[in-house]
Amino acid sequence: MSETTDKKVHGIAAEYTSVDTLMDACRRVRDAGYTKTDAFAPFAVHGIDKALGIKPTKLPWIVLACGLTGTLTGLCMQIWMNGIDYPYIISGKPYISLPAFIPVAFELTILFASFGAFFGMWALNGLPKFSNPVFTDPRFDRVTDDRFFVYVDASDARYDRAGVEKLFSETGSEYITTVMEDDSPKKVPKFIITSWMVMVALSIIPLLIVLKMRVTNSSSPRFHIFYDMDFSPSKDAQQNTTLFADARAMRPDVPGTVARGQMDLNYQTGIDIDALAKIDGPRAAMLVRALDDAEAKADSAAKSDGAPKAAASPAPGVMDTTPWLGENPSELTAALLEKGQQQFGIYCSVCHGMNGGGNGLVNRRAQKILAGTWVPPSSLHQDSLYAGKYPDGKLFNTISNGIRKMPGYASQIKVEDRWAIVAYVRALQKSQNASIDLVPASKKKAIEKQQAAVQQKLKEQAEAEKKAAEESAAKAAKAESDKPSA
Amino acid sequence: MSHARPVVKPADDPAFMLPAALSALTTPLLGGGLLLLVAGWAVGSFMGSPQVGMSAYLAAFIYCLTLATGSLFFVLIQHLVRAGWSTVIRRIAELVMMMLFPLAILFLPILMTLLMGEGTLYRWDDPNFATANHLPTDAWAEKSRWLNQGWFTIRSVIYFAVWLFLALYFFRGSTQQDQTGERAMTDRLQYWSGPATMAFCGVTSFAAFDWVMSLSPMWFSTMFGVYLFAGSVLATHSMLAVSAYMLQKKGAMRDEVTVEHYHDLAKLIFGFLLFWMYIAFSQYMLIWYGNIPEETEWIYHRQLGGWGTLTVLLIFLHWLLPFFGLMSMFVRRRPAIIAFWAAYVLVMHFADIFWIIMPEATVAGELPYTIQTIGVASAVMCVVGMAALLTGLVLKVAGDTKVVAVRDPRLAESMAFENV
Repeated sequence: MSETTDKKVHGIAAEYTSVDTLMDACRRVRDAGYTKTDAFAPFAVHGIDKALGIKPTKLPWIVLACGLTGTLTGLCMQIWMNGIDYPYIISGKPYISLPAFIPVAFELTILFASFGAFFGMWALNGLPKFSNPVFTDPRFDRVTDDRFFVYVDASDARYDRAGVEKLFSETGSEYITTVMEDDSPKKVPKFIITSWMVMVALSIIPLLIVLKMRVTNSSSPRFHIFYDMDFSPSKDAQQNTTLFADARAMRPDVPGTVARGQMDLNYQTGIDIDALAKIDGPRAAMLVRALDDAEAKADSAAKSDGAPKAAASPAPGVMDTTPWLGENPSELTAALLEKGQQQFGIYCSVCHGMNGGGNGLVNRRAQKILAGTWVPPSSLHQDSLYAGKYPDGKLFNTISNGIRKMPGYASQIKVEDRWAIVAYVRALQKSQNASIDLVPASKKKAIEKQQAAVQQKLKEQAEAEKKAAEESAAKAAKAESDKPSA
Repeated sequence: MSHARPVVKPADDPAFMLPAALSALTTPLLGGGLLLLVAGWAVGSFMGSPQVGMSAYLAAFIYCLTLATGSLFFVLIQHLVRAGWSTVIRRIAELVMMMLFPLAILFLPILMTLLMGEGTLYRWDDPNFATANHLPTDAWAEKSRWLNQGWFTIRSVIYFAVWLFLALYFFRGSTQQDQTGERAMTDRLQYWSGPATMAFCGVTSFAAFDWVMSLSPMWFSTMFGVYLFAGSVLATHSMLAVSAYMLQKKGAMRDEVTVEHYHDLAKLIFGFLLFWMYIAFSQYMLIWYGNIPEETEWIYHRQLGGWGTLTVLLIFLHWLLPFFGLMSMFVRRRPAIIAFWAAYVLVMHFADIFWIIMPEATVAGELPYTIQTIGVASAVMCVVGMAALLTGLVLKVAGDTKVVAVRDPRLAESMAFENV
């Protein structure tokens, strides 16, 4: 009790034998103004917080903050993952649909709040602690059985040893003890260190095995943890199966299937089908069948006179009465024109040239090798191909089904892209005889500047050519005159 | 303080009697309530449609029924878990659960409507219902095996029989103990509380299916009984808090009910607020996710027009606002604030019942997609009337007995109960 060692004094504890004396002592300790105090009892004693003057814990606020953090984390995580970073359609719901996100947000709220409660309690209680100096006194062990202790910490601002002991003795405590520094060794025992090392060493072994297997060959087959994920029973493309009479694993469309957005026949053909039906019923019916019916498609493919040809212009010499669509059904936007430009560059420019002048790379090569059967591609800049004489629908049909030597591109270019090309071709045609007045005022200056520069360049070129011609003429004349007379 | 033994007053102490100020209210409450109830029904029936009037009546009936059955549940649970803390307020719940007897009589108009009118309240009762709504014959035949007048009536009688038997048994047990104070009675009530709880749960769930869910005959939700039950238990705890507060204000059980009991009631209210929202949302989310027409119709009607507004308001006012209002322990240890929130929850519970029942009412064959003034006025008049009527009856019964179970062996424990 009154040992005079140089060990650190942590505080003073007093033992009591009943709840009433404990509570009384607590109140006196509180009234004496001590704040760093604690009471120990084998069971929960109601009202002891008040008796000791312990303020309500901050833990609820920590839990609330953690819970709200959990809610926000759950919502933000899902909104980011499913709605922004990797938009993914799940059973046709919107990307960001709150009802679907609430369960996870709810669970995370609870998880974070539990973490907050658990670890917040640790933090507020200064845990984890491996030992507490109060345990050095063997009499303290009875606090889990039938004794009560009150403890005043030495770090309390009002702490003074004699005063506290006097206070405790006044409360009728029969046993007052000074809580000393624990004198048990602080070193971690050898066998614990050894077992840790052994554990670490053992835990590396699986890692080493994996690493070795990654860099060596093996003659034994792999482990298939999920056999049916490595060897799925589902069929791959182009395989056969015994399930169907035609032995194909890839199933063709059910006859009569219409893909989404393919019901608009005018859009598909470039022809006003209703009008055509009035003029030429059979042809309209054939067209509709060709577009609608997979069987008809198969039939027509078998025939040499294919159904797609039906859409092509009638035989030469026959007046073309087809009611072509007069204007592009797509909405003209900058995006559409850009798409058209891109597709034109891919498919058309090789023959027709980037400017549509009919002198693409293929044509130049054909001219160079003097190909016998080569029909030069049309220039798109001629009266007969302007919108007035050559309706948009007809142009679409030409792109789709070809004309003369030009093949049809229906199988390669999507319908909307073909319409985009039509729009772009019209823009190309317009560009050939555009006047400066059409340019918006904001860009006029820049264009005029460019024009001037180009004209200047052309002028220079022309002059240079002229000069060269003159020079060569002069040279020739000189050579003529320098010839020695015979 | 725990070391100070509470003094249990003698059984005939005035603190256990119904205060005179309250018993004086009995007759005006009975008369006024009955008048208002009839007036509310009349407003709905003659200014709206017979179905609106009956729906308002049904909403009032279900509101009072949830409080009565919730009180029965409260009593059963206290016995089941051998609760000590709640003994001082258990008698209030016992008095309210006895209201199942007048409620059985108040159910008769609903039953008469079913037996006499064709589809006045329950649309499935209309013989032309299936054809008018283009329902497949086989599906409707299956539904009709459950939803038909005879079987419905028999079931309703069974529900009331079970409830009334349980209520009477537990009430008589408790009031007999007031005279004798024998411990054996508590043991007997505890012994039977387990089976009683099971019987109660089955009956209450099916009653919700029959009387409320069948308003929309083709719609179904297995969670519906639990949903109504969640609101019922929430409202019951609120009702207990309000009643205890009122009785204390008027001078009864001043020393018996302490801040600790309010604290516990507030904790339960807080918990059941979340439980109600949890169940409501679970039911909604599965329906929303499944997205099957016959399941979504019920929710869909409640997303249109004024109903949609009320749906959103319910989330915020029935759950979020009181949830945060009761979150702090500071609040939960202040009886006046708890009484305010409890009264608030009781009002919101009616909004919930209104939201469940009224959208199914039709005017001129049309489902009203907006909350009409007539419907609101009629429903509010009905519920205030019925609640007043039943409160009058509760006060009448309470005047003949005590407001605390005076000789319950756990009374001292309950009075000494402390949370912290």
